[in-house]
Amino acid sequence: MDVSDSTEGVRADSLLLSVAEHLKVPLTTIARQAELGQLTGQVELTDAAAIRVQANAALTLVDSYLLGLELMNRHADLQLEPVSVSSTLNDAAHDLERFANYYQVQLEVEVGGRFGPVMSHPQGLRAALLSLGFALVEAQAAQDMRGPRRVTLATHRTPLGIVAGVYGHYEALSAERWRAALGLAGKARQPITSLMPGSGAGLFVADAILRSMDTRLRVGRYLKQSGLAATLQPSRQLAFV
Amino acid sequence: MSHILLIEPNTLLATVYTRALQHAGHSVARVTGAQAGIDAADRRRPDIVITELHLPQHSGIEFLHEFRSYAEWQQVPIVLNTALTGTQVAPVMQALHRDLGIREILYKPRTSLQDLVRVAREHALAA
Repeated sequence: MDVSDSTEGVRADSLLLSVAEHLKVPLTTIARQAELGQLTGQVELTDAAAIRVQANAALTLVDSYLLGLELMNRHADLQLEPVSVSSTLNDAAHDLERFANYYQVQLEVEVGGRFGPVMSHPQGLRAALLSLGFALVEAQAAQDMRGPRRVTLATHRTPLGIVAGVYGHYEALSAERWRAALGLAGKARQPITSLMPGSGAGLFVADAILRSMDTRLRVGRYLKQSGLAATLQPSRQLAFV
Repeated sequence: MSHILLIEPNTLLATVYTRALQHAGHSVARVTGAQAGIDAADRRRPDIVITELHLPQHSGIEFLHEFRSYAEWQQVPIVLNTALTGTQVAPVMQALHRDLGIREILYKPRTSLQDLVRVAREHALAA
């Protein structure tokens, strides 16, 4: 089941494989965290907060995947409504903050100017940005690099619409590699090695949700950072938010 | 005890492994990727390497080939601790054991900390 007519979209069965592959990591981390206190006899070494952070991230991915499936199925008659991008970015950043802290990644939100709402699905947009955020924070933490690790949730206006995305220091990320990754999702173990070591499930789930809203993730740049972003259409309706 | 080079891209999981191995008396150099692994081995020769095959930017196989290309590291025991299942590793199994001298392949989701510590001790002693 494709989310759009485009063959570039990740199929639902490939998406499930990608999600299942990804979930091994947080579940392994939780299991080993729980074991650490027992093994060492030092209960304080079992970091309950780290377990909670990993469990929340895993549950968010599952929820986003399920929402993505629902939106894909309703694609033909999905009702879009005016949504504030800056509020959605701030909400997503709030949910990501603790996760980013644990990965020692500094999280920032940048809203480039003032603009009205975009036409979107509020829960879908939030889930897509959150899914993307979790994936790119983890990817940033895994990069071989010196200096502070920073991830920025940003939005800015372009002639094509309002762009919302997540950016960081991902030197090897390119449009070609992202296109190739979409084709490899659920088939290759590491569809986008240049960005992250795992299955990249969070990226593909975010892309699937956005495709159900007739947009998609593209490689973009914000100031000196690179990342993945979607272009959203401004709402023509009166803005209340 | 032994000096272990741990290459684990997930930093939270790496912290847990490091604490368990340190508690068992080992010193641990912990890195997230292939290049940092080579750099860490350059700074201090490890007695044993424990690595994931899924690494950012370079594949674990690339790392293993590069690591083994240096004469002084050709006898260092390497243990894979990977999220890949047996069937996923099977196509490269022969190359891993014969060409790259991998001592043991652990399936990460099913490998307890106790098992990891035991395997590290056994291979470090054998070396």
